Amino acid sequence: MPITFRTRLMAGAAAIVTAASLAACTTTSGPTLAEDQELAVGVQYPIENLDPHGASSQDAGTQLAAEAIFSQLVNTVGPGKFEGELAESWEPNDDASVWTFTLRDGLTFSDDSPLTSADVAASFERVLALAGPLSSNFKGFTVAAPDDKTVVFTAPGPEPALLGKLQLFVVTPADVDENSFGEPIGSGPFVVDEFVPGSTLRLVPNPNYWGEEPTLDVLELRTIPEIAARMTALQTGEIQVAWGMPDDQVAMLRENADLQVEAIETNAVMTMWMNSSTPAIADPAVRRALWQAVDFETIITSLFPETGSPADSVVAPTVLGYAPQEPVAYDPDAAKEALEDAGFDFSTTLRFQYSQPQFAEVTQAVASDLAKIGVKVDVLEKEQAVFLEDLLALNWDINIQMIGSQGFDAATNVGRLYPCAAHRTGYCNEELDALLASAGSTGDVEKREEYYAQAIEIIWNDAVGMYPMFTRLAYAWNKNVDGLVLAPDGRPGFASVTISASN
Amino acid sequence: MTKLLTTPARTRRSTRGLPQGTIPAIIIGLYVLVAVIGPMFVFYDPVITSVGDRLLPPGSVSAAGEPRPLGTDGVGRDMLGQLIYGARTSLIIGVSVVGISAVVGVLLGTMAGYFSGWADVSISRLIDVLLAFPGILLAIIIAGVLDRSMLVVILALSVANWIGFARLSRGIALSFRERPWVDAARLVGVPSPLLLLRHIIPFVIGPVAALATTEFALAILSEAGLSFLGLGLPPSSVSWGQTIAIGRSYLGSAWWVSAFPGIALSGLVISAGLLGDRLTARLTGDRR
Repeated sequence: MPITFRTRLMAGAAAIVTAASLAACTTTSGPTLAEDQELAVGVQYPIENLDPHGASSQDAGTQLAAEAIFSQLVNTVGPGKFEGELAESWEPNDDASVWTFTLRDGLTFSDDSPLTSADVAASFERVLALAGPLSSNFKGFTVAAPDDKTVVFTAPGPEPALLGKLQLFVVTPADVDENSFGEPIGSGPFVVDEFVPGSTLRLVPNPNYWGEEPTLDVLELRTIPEIAARMTALQTGEIQVAWGMPDDQVAMLRENADLQVEAIETNAVMTMWMNSSTPAIADPAVRRALWQAVDFETIITSLFPETGSPADSVVAPTVLGYAPQEPVAYDPDAAKEALEDAGFDFSTTLRFQYSQPQFAEVTQAVASDLAKIGVKVDVLEKEQAVFLEDLLALNWDINIQMIGSQGFDAATNVGRLYPCAAHRTGYCNEELDALLASAGSTGDVEKREEYYAQAIEIIWNDAVGMYPMFTRLAYAWNKNVDGLVLAPDGRPGFASVTISASN
Repeated sequence: MTKLLTTPARTRRSTRGLPQGTIPAIIIGLYVLVAVIGPMFVFYDPVITSVGDRLLPPGSVSAAGEPRPLGTDGVGRDMLGQLIYGARTSLIIGVSVVGISAVVGVLLGTMAGYFSGWADVSISRLIDVLLAFPGILLAIIIAGVLDRSMLVVILALSVANWIGFARLSRGIALSFRERPWVDAARLVGVPSPLLLLRHIIPFVIGPVAALATTEFALAILSEAGLSFLGLGLPPSSVSWGQTIAIGRSYLGSAWWVSAFPGIALSGLVISAGLLGDRLTARLTGDRR
């Protein structure tokens, strides 16, 4: 099966077609469908809430559910490339501050009521009114619905990356409130049959879906947070799809003949910011030396053989604005010398924080390499809530996260996190600010690429962080599951899934 | 058949030769020996990792040519080193927790039993209140709220652990305060603190020693439990519980990460438990 990006019509259809030709060895006329079209999916994070607009709008679980239940206006299919979902066409004005979307004909919600531009506008206003994490992408925006099929978004200034930012914006009926999301009405491929928050979400096809109606009779998203339990469930066939496995598990799953394993490129970069507002590491020379002191090549080949590859930029190659930089070579002796030259105080202990268990080993390895040149590091595993609070308060010296670029656009990563006003990295540089401001205020793609390239060069050379690794996301699924649309953001598409009879 | 019949007789004879409880005592002695002198022979630093040598099976040799008789963990650290340094951690914590609990428990318990009245009421109610909480839950709360360190773990485990000692010594003190020689000492005018120390506590020591051995096993187990939950010792120290927790994700592929510390932990806890049972039978039997 080829790697297909999350597109509803074209790629989905292509996936089915290739799956059919692959499975042709069993029958002459393609795969026979199993009688039971039920798919159980193991999800690592809980789905607590189905309201895609409010406080949980950035939760992975809510986003995964929203993908199946609701529809968005447009969908990315690659860097700077988009495809319409609810929208048939869209047009920015000259400075990309006013965007006009035209909806498809005959859209209806799962309860047979028509989906009009008024619903889109009301949904957008609801996002702004609830002031959840999603709304921070749309500060100062206004929306209007001049007629039933037209929606107009007006940004306070040029907003060339709007399509990317709209990736997580889904449309609900205009008259929803927080009580409407027990069994929400949507326009996605599925509707909710049963929802147990934090545990299972059972979905059935939506007969009013604007695309091709799913073949699946039942799609069940089950939360299984423990990795070992999820892997066992996958191997025993209790669930048929899982993703986000650590490398050790990927290697093990590859040995199972019933499973198909595929690691696809994501746009996430392992990002280890070094807090420039900490006096001990305020000097770019010190930060460069720390980066140089870590043997990332060995770390990546030993710890991430399946899902990692050495990075050469702040954003992934698939992102608009990517510009390759000179890799930082491992040289502990030079690093130690540079630290001594810069007058680094070796008695300081650097606080290295992380929250997700996937970083436990890499943080230890990094701390070990730094200890070898005499830099003391205290590795701190923090609970998610504490981690977030400390992260925003800059209460750390080194921080590790996977940082992606929503909508494949550097604006959502570099443009959002690195201006002085963002206060996210402790780093502040007027030249960088000016470049980012210029990149954010023009609609010209080539100019934006150039500005971001310059900005990334500054970030890389001043070592605002260490950027060691591009990541892949591993998916594993049972071989009788066809048409799964793998997505780099961990929100696979299930609309085109079919289950073939086992041979 | 005859062989089967004769076997029990032989076993009985052989155990009669050695005082019962010798074998667990020898095993515990070995752990102590390893914890005390092991670190002189095996160097291990939990901070230093070597990811190139990760998950080597037992009996391998690291890239740098060092033997790894028990294999390595997920970041390439020596398992043998973790076992030895982990033994040291476990014993230090076990001894400290039992020490603190025994001193506090015996003091409060004998006072409650000897003085009765208000002292007894307040101490006994405090014990009742603490008994209402499961000890490990209390420890989890304390260890969870405070920063991770060895001192916090010792305190967290001691908070609920002294109760057993206090109840035991209260019971003994309660019965001994009525004995003629205690009455005599009181009438002669021996001051209360001295009386407690000279005439009551010596009778408490035996049963407390027996209880201490059992509690020692429980303290070690609780520390491993806390570290397993990520609430115990900081990652920069070595703990069997932590290693077992880390090994959980490799159960299918690298059994040795969890298995060796698990075996070491059970060996120590079972031996301490057996020895405790023996001591209880011997030391409390003599009391009457």
